[in-house]
Amino acid sequence: MSRRKIVNWLAVKIASVRGVTRNVLKPIIAVGGISLVAASCATNAPQDTWQPKGPNAKLIDDLQQPVFAVAGIIGLIVAVAVTYTMIKYRDRGQPIPEQTHGKPALEITLTIIPALILAVVSVFTFGAIFKLAKTDDTEMIINVTGQQWWWEYDYPVQNEFGITQPIISSGQLVMPVGTKVLLRETSRDVIHSYWIPALNGKRDAVPGRIHTLRLEADRPGIYAGQCTEFCGLSHANMRMEAVALSKEDFAKWVANQQAPYVAPAKDTLAKQGEEVFLNQCVRCHQVNGLTRADGTPAIAAPDENVWSGAAPNLTRLMTRNTFAGAMFDLLSKQCRDEVWNAPSDVVGAKYLVGVTEECLNQKDLRAWLRNAPEVKPMYANPVDLAVSNGKYRGMPYLALSEDDINKLVAYLLTLK
Amino acid sequence: MAIIERPAPTVPAIVTPTSTYGLLKRPVSTTGWRSWVFTVDHKKLGIMYAATAMFFFIVGGVEALLIRLQLAAPNGKVLNADLYNQMFTMHATTMVFLFVMPMAAGFANYFVPLQIGARDVAFPRLNAFGFWAFLFGGIFLNLAWFLGGAADGGWFMYAPNSGPVFSPSNGVDFWALGLQITGIASLTGAINLIITVLNMRAPGMTLMKMPLFTWMITVVQFLLLFAVPVITVALFLLSFQRNFGAQFFDVAAGADPLLWQHLFWIFGHPEVYILILPSFGIVSEVLPVFSRKPLFGYPFVVFSGAAIGFVGWGVWAHHMFASGLGPVSVAVFSLTTMAIAVPTGVKIINWTLTMWGGKLWFTTAMKFSIGLIVLFTVGGLSGVTHAVAPSDTQQTDTYYIVAHFHYVLFGGAVLGIFSGFYYWWPKVFGKMLNEKIGSWNFWLMIIGLNMTFGPMHILGLQGQPRRMYQWTEARAGEGFFNLAFWNLVASIGSFILTVGILMFLINVVVTARNPNKAPLDPWNARSLEWMTSNPPKEHNFDVIPTVHHLDEFFHQKFEEDEATHTMKQVKTAEEIMAEQERNADKHIHMPSPSYWPIVLAFGLPIITFGVIYSHLISVVGGVIVLFASYGWALESSTAPDSDFENNTPGTGLDKVAANHD
Repeated sequence: MSRRKIVNWLAVKIASVRGVTRNVLKPIIAVGGISLVAASCATNAPQDTWQPKGPNAKLIDDLQQPVFAVAGIIGLIVAVAVTYTMIKYRDRGQPIPEQTHGKPALEITLTIIPALILAVVSVFTFGAIFKLAKTDDTEMIINVTGQQWWWEYDYPVQNEFGITQPIISSGQLVMPVGTKVLLRETSRDVIHSYWIPALNGKRDAVPGRIHTLRLEADRPGIYAGQCTEFCGLSHANMRMEAVALSKEDFAKWVANQQAPYVAPAKDTLAKQGEEVFLNQCVRCHQVNGLTRADGTPAIAAPDENVWSGAAPNLTRLMTRNTFAGAMFDLLSKQCRDEVWNAPSDVVGAKYLVGVTEECLNQKDLRAWLRNAPEVKPMYANPVDLAVSNGKYRGMPYLALSEDDINKLVAYLLTLK
Repeated sequence: MAIIERPAPTVPAIVTPTSTYGLLKRPVSTTGWRSWVFTVDHKKLGIMYAATAMFFFIVGGVEALLIRLQLAAPNGKVLNADLYNQMFTMHATTMVFLFVMPMAAGFANYFVPLQIGARDVAFPRLNAFGFWAFLFGGIFLNLAWFLGGAADGGWFMYAPNSGPVFSPSNGVDFWALGLQITGIASLTGAINLIITVLNMRAPGMTLMKMPLFTWMITVVQFLLLFAVPVITVALFLLSFQRNFGAQFFDVAAGADPLLWQHLFWIFGHPEVYILILPSFGIVSEVLPVFSRKPLFGYPFVVFSGAAIGFVGWGVWAHHMFASGLGPVSVAVFSLTTMAIAVPTGVKIINWTLTMWGGKLWFTTAMKFSIGLIVLFTVGGLSGVTHAVAPSDTQQTDTYYIVAHFHYVLFGGAVLGIFSGFYYWWPKVFGKMLNEKIGSWNFWLMIIGLNMTFGPMHILGLQGQPRRMYQWTEARAGEGFFNLAFWNLVASIGSFILTVGILMFLINVVVTARNPNKAPLDPWNARSLEWMTSNPPKEHNFDVIPTVHHLDEFFHQKFEEDEATHTMKQVKTAEEIMAEQERNADKHIHMPSPSYWPIVLAFGLPIITFGVIYSHLISVVGGVIVLFASYGWALESSTAPDSDFENNTPGTGLDKVAANHD
């Protein structure tokens, strides 16, 4: 073949390959490429599983990234192999081929290769599983209890962190950075699952069992999460947020949580709100240190009214940024963004300010007090409660007047 | 076709009772609705299974569309939380138990006897009973929509959320009892098909000459035989807990809710292979036919299917990596889950190598099969990523899992089913589905399903959990390509997918109106089901074929050219057919229709109704079941000659058959 002929032949071949590329592969590459680029643009979702912010999540991420890469390559090889076969062996009038029944040597090779790849993956997987299960070097314990549809955080006495009396909170898990925190999870009703993607994978909270999950945050910040075991009507609204504070800020938070109750001054709207609270809310919601008019402590009895036997402790409500199972923000949008988007060296200070009157999300809080079951699906209609012996699952409609709501909001703002 | 139940008068071995000991004579109708309602013919039952499954596919599809409508935008208002929870529970339940499983049963019923050269299944009345139990069970399950609300605990129905306090409507009762009924259908079907395959193969058809579809169906029947009893036990515990005050999952009484999870997934994981293996079988039939080559590595594909059937029992706890099993269990199930990827990978490799070196004909059936290879691979690989247990704890219960199992089940099971539709339609209905509409059907489904389920990978990895009736912008991230964008893409994709499926229904109508008959052997096929007329005669084969090869039909038509090793045609399908007709068996004894299967099956939902509403109703249902069992057991084995019209007693079957051809 002369050189000219070879060049011509090559030109024809290239043109035909390019034709195939244009017709078949280009759209595939284009769609795939756009998707990949587009997917990588959406990297700022608060629950992104590919942005670890602590050693446990980092361990998982270091394991999963190579697995995703290998899986992607194998997927690509299969797609290319199938496409190539389709083009090469399409019916071009060739005779019906020899009826071969396979090549055992090739077959065995192609069985062993994936088995070897998976064997390598499994070695690293085993290592990670046991590392993540490690609990013997735990530095701090927080008991986490799920119920429909909110999480309770109970900090047992731990003098080294200044916790000299138990702290009971909800909505936001506050923890010190650089500390190996062990969550001891359980549930008071159905199965829930605790998940802060930036800090670790999920662990189910199962009634009657205590499961452990280790969290550790590298830097101060607020990390979003969501209940991930289907838990009934308001599963979608059962959220959580982990707030990692520097050790100094955490100590301040602990001190504030343990500070004695300060009743509102006489003849204020807040004082009237305290009365409304004593009449209505205290049936289920505890505020530590709150006393009745006769000086006896006001003890909440959620076990008499709520199926799970618990309702959020509201002692320092306004130090939290959320309410109603973290479904609603206590901070207005602007104030919330200021805290969430703050750089990690100032986020603690901003968080510790709590909710001020200017920053309060009046709209959602008032709607909640006005008619809670209307804004969050719950089992709170008295006519439906025969099956649970009259006990609510969630917060009922309390028929509060607008006047009562004004008083209550003024009172709740003092709880910080 | 009055050949049904014609005893051969010249064969004294068959005793024809002159009177019937049952309460009713056996029906003999061969036309009209009676010929369907009382039929025991495996082909009619196969069509009935598939048609019913298709109906439930549409029901489940509408449920899916409502879900995607709700999730198209943040804070969706199409459904409230309660209705949404019912919707996703029933979408999964319908698609798994009322679409894919019975659709596979339909294919199996129709084609397994044909593929092994048999004239019916081993127990024809039991076969009919299985269909009616499935139908009544499916209706019973869905009646809950009209009687206070459907089940709302998810198809996995985890305890204690399924208990009477947490799910106060009767939905879960309907769900548990309805699945018991469909479970009975699956069990009877499994026993029937296993015995059919083991006992009724044509002479010469050893197990290793059996078509791959029949092989995969056999593996599935064994899986059903062992998996269904487990879910039966679990459902009984659930029903007793809800209806009779038992405390199997009541923590206050000392129970452990993880008991349910173990029982459910010991059933639930083999169930996944019950759903996918029939489609693996279909693809393994279609690819060789349209590649003009035998399946590459037939024994490897058979044994990898069987291996999946075994290892499938040892992976259930990978559904529970986040439920607190402890590291040792997690490590073991992580390893077994990776192990099961190997035989699955073997199949992908073998299908690709089947096409390699072939002469590929891209019919719609072939396109769907190739689509399965590629899209199932995507689902398989995402499956491997969560076999890695630590990364699964990030992915489980997010949309990443939804993406994974839809690539496996839609990209796998459903594409295989559609491939089967296009491949076998001429066999069943004697007409070819329109290839042009088929092409639209294929491409719209492929685009739609990738647009619907592809973005769910991103949604899940970006942290959107499953089973949420609403999602919030607060967790969607910023920028144009945030989770709001991908949710919208998925919703748009689901409507494209719907149009794709509508194309199939349009194709069915267009094809039905088209007067052109399909050729005898339109695809130049390879296995025995094509060695008979389209549609097959009531008795399937005029002569039971003797099998010498895997792909017997192909080897009767083609011989190898010694010089080139390519294949040249030596006989046409028409010639083989004519030869069979010349040598037709004289006396073919086919089973009679029966009234009792439908009556017996009808008693079951009445019993379960009574469990929910009043035990007196259960007694009525029980009486119907007993009465039907009595009739079933004692009815004559055949209808007497005098019951047949247009038929002179004593004539041979060949004459009767000839009258009707």
